[in-house]
Amino acid sequence: MGRNVKLGGVALAALMVLHAPATLAQTPDDQLVIGLNMSSMRGLDPQELNQFESAEVVANLYDRLLTLPADDITSVEPMIAESWEVSEDGRTFTFTLRDDVTFHSGNPLTAADAEYSLRRLVKMGLAPARDLTQWGLTAENVDEMIRAEGDTTLVVELPEVWNSDLVLYSLASFSTSIVDSQLVEENVEGDDYGRTFLQTNDAGSGPYTLRTWRANDLLIAEAYEGYWGGAPAMTRVLMRHIPESSAQRLQIENGDIDIATRLSSSDLDALAENDAITIQTTPGVGFYYIALNQENEILANPQVREAFRYLIDYEGLADTVMRYYGNMQQTIVPAGMPGAMEDTNPYALDPARAAELLAEAGYPDGISLTYYATPVTPEYEIAQSIQANAAEAGITLDLQPGDHIGDFRARNYEVFSARTGDRMPDPHAVLQSYAQNPDNSREANLAGFMAWRAAWDVPAEMQALVDEAARELDSDRREEIYAELNQMYLESSPPLITSFQRTDARAIRDRVEGYEGHTTWLTSWDEVTKSAD
Amino acid sequence: MTVGSPPYRPDGRAWLSAARKVGTSLSVVAITLFGLLVITFVVGRMVPADPVIAIIGDQADQAAYDRVYQELGLDRPLVVQFGTYVRDIATLDFGRSHLSRNEVATDLARVFPATVELATAALLIGTLLGVPLGVVAAVRRGTWIDQVARVVGLVGYSTPIFWLGMIVILIFYAGLGWIPAGNRVGLYYEGLVEGPTGFLVLDAVLAAEWDVAKSALGHLVAPALVLGWANTAYISRMSRSFMLEQLNQEYILTARAKGATNNSVIWRHAFANMRVQLLTVIALAYCGLLDGTVLIETVFGWPGLGQYLTTALFFADMNAVLGAVLLIGLISVGINLLCDVAYRLLDPRTK
Repeated sequence: MGRNVKLGGVALAALMVLHAPATLAQTPDDQLVIGLNMSSMRGLDPQELNQFESAEVVANLYDRLLTLPADDITSVEPMIAESWEVSEDGRTFTFTLRDDVTFHSGNPLTAADAEYSLRRLVKMGLAPARDLTQWGLTAENVDEMIRAEGDTTLVVELPEVWNSDLVLYSLASFSTSIVDSQLVEENVEGDDYGRTFLQTNDAGSGPYTLRTWRANDLLIAEAYEGYWGGAPAMTRVLMRHIPESSAQRLQIENGDIDIATRLSSSDLDALAENDAITIQTTPGVGFYYIALNQENEILANPQVREAFRYLIDYEGLADTVMRYYGNMQQTIVPAGMPGAMEDTNPYALDPARAAELLAEAGYPDGISLTYYATPVTPEYEIAQSIQANAAEAGITLDLQPGDHIGDFRARNYEVFSARTGDRMPDPHAVLQSYAQNPDNSREANLAGFMAWRAAWDVPAEMQALVDEAARELDSDRREEIYAELNQMYLESSPPLITSFQRTDARAIRDRVEGYEGHTTWLTSWDEVTKSAD
Repeated sequence: MTVGSPPYRPDGRAWLSAARKVGTSLSVVAITLFGLLVITFVVGRMVPADPVIAIIGDQADQAAYDRVYQELGLDRPLVVQFGTYVRDIATLDFGRSHLSRNEVATDLARVFPATVELATAALLIGTLLGVPLGVVAAVRRGTWIDQVARVVGLVGYSTPIFWLGMIVILIFYAGLGWIPAGNRVGLYYEGLVEGPTGFLVLDAVLAAEWDVAKSALGHLVAPALVLGWANTAYISRMSRSFMLEQLNQEYILTARAKGATNNSVIWRHAFANMRVQLLTVIALAYCGLLDGTVLIETVFGWPGLGQYLTTALFFADMNAVLGAVLLIGLISVGINLLCDVAYRLLDPRTK
């Protein structure tokens, strides 16, 4: 036995020696380490992806014609396009491109690459294609409408007139990233537009190049020495897949990572107390909402819809579960945008009032409904809270957790709640989805519109105003229209009830400067610097 | 004329018989794997997650939805989808994962060695600690060492492994700073060593990258110890009961009566006779480790097969799920076949 004990001692000592070097040094001064949950990333093809984390990577591997600064997202700034002109009739956009840009491959970037990329986005017709197709560009007309003229001039023509800001916002979206057409063409397989290649490779000209990309494990980007804007301060950016929020918290506390993302509410609370860490919340263009299916006779009653607004504990949620995930907002135009009414939140939790409304609607004995919600934070906590409040008002909600997005898209539900996230820094992004529904019939299958999913036959007047605002060229008039729409939506007892505008929270060590979460998913790394801890 | 039997030469009939046996084994393997595929395919289709929405996001319009739906081949009848899949498998084409966007075979070649590395380390710990502990506990039944073995067994069995993992991280990473937080190697050593085996510690040693080897070993120790602890518990309990069973046999009495030393009785006689049972237990433990490390992989951020399979299931990434399940099935069948061979070598009665 004595020998065994000795052996054990030796083993333990060996272990400690082995581990001694794994001291928890801070991250290097010239490298940025980001902890994140990579499991929803779907490759890095700019014209295919439609996802927050992937978009951040793409925003740093590629350049676009235009950009939106993180601290002023409605001011369009030049990127590859040095300047641009909009024709008097508002239909033709002419961009003059920089002539000193080279791709990571060494190929020069010309207007032909921009033409190729924008046409590629429209022709592939995947989720982000909407950024251009909503302005009337189609696979059939795009070859004619988007064209390079020489090496530095790109013309984008639209079939109809739209507010030029909206179009320019679209041309600052990650989906319009300019890809190296020569490199992509060399890697096309069959009719895949080079997707297979671009999903795991980089064909960009941005401040960073892709060094390593292992799904659900690790991504390493290296500074591009030849970047036209000057090489960035961080020589490498390392993204590590850390699915557990608590593990991210421990690692940022220990200084092993600089930035932690998608943390749980309790971890964010704990990190907020840490002197070396700041919690940064970035507003998003989207809302936490409840959808009431208008195909259901009970829910089609405006008083019943109105009753639901009294079942949300706005104040209580704002102080607890929603502290980092959203800002209370009951109106439809996101804060800070034209026509917004930030302080107009007329509703408060009031189950008694809800019960009254229900009785007036002809349901004095209460109602029973099925309620779908996704079991993720904070959406499920909100759903549970609503369920409890509804019970007090005589509404029995049978809360069924699960992945019901498919049911929601197909109108197979009664009550559903979740959140949306758009990318355009304009009220149009939200209104075209929440308050437009060109054809409410089931056969139309317009699942891209939230209003269609709610089976809401949006009043014609409201729909016309949404369209008018998007085409209006005068910005003062636009603001008036949005203010009117905002009020109209609030008063319409809508079946898409908004409660909080979403925010995305990150924990950032104080030694990191210049990392600004971007509302339209364009968070950039090239301004980041680090000081000693 | 000499009398006696001629030296044994296998005739045609013996070869035929051997071939038939091999053929039978192979067809059993094939049927097992096919059954596994059918079940996984059917269950996979019943998972409520929609792979199309997992790809395009929930706000995409219907045109984008329809396009991806067709690309994935979901518009074809289930039987046709399955037939196509099996046909591709036959040409060793496992398809592409819609999560990682890689060929499933490429992904598996990356994640599987990570799991094998961890599972093997855990199995070594479990076996090297568990077997002697169990044997000694049986021999010294009722003494303090037996009590220790019992406590190890009880605690090892009853502690949820993910909880133990989190506690280990909390104490030894966050508290003492002895171990790294997770993953296979320090972030700054990533990518310095690639291949040939995929077992990072071994590859680093082969490449004489000592810093990488040290870092990789340092990352392996904590998850391997946590997994190994649970295995020690299992293997020591089983070893103890096998040994007790042997020690009650009459041949042990005989051996002692013949004057064999205590060591000789235990190791040469009793232990030799429990090897077959023990082998089965260890083989089962290994199978369990290869497909059941997901909790520890998640807690320690270990990019292995368990994590790969779980994420794939969650997002309805059917090619990845089927590929991973098929691989696990193959490995289990393979280990079972190896066990059969080992039985023949260890147990004269099976010859």
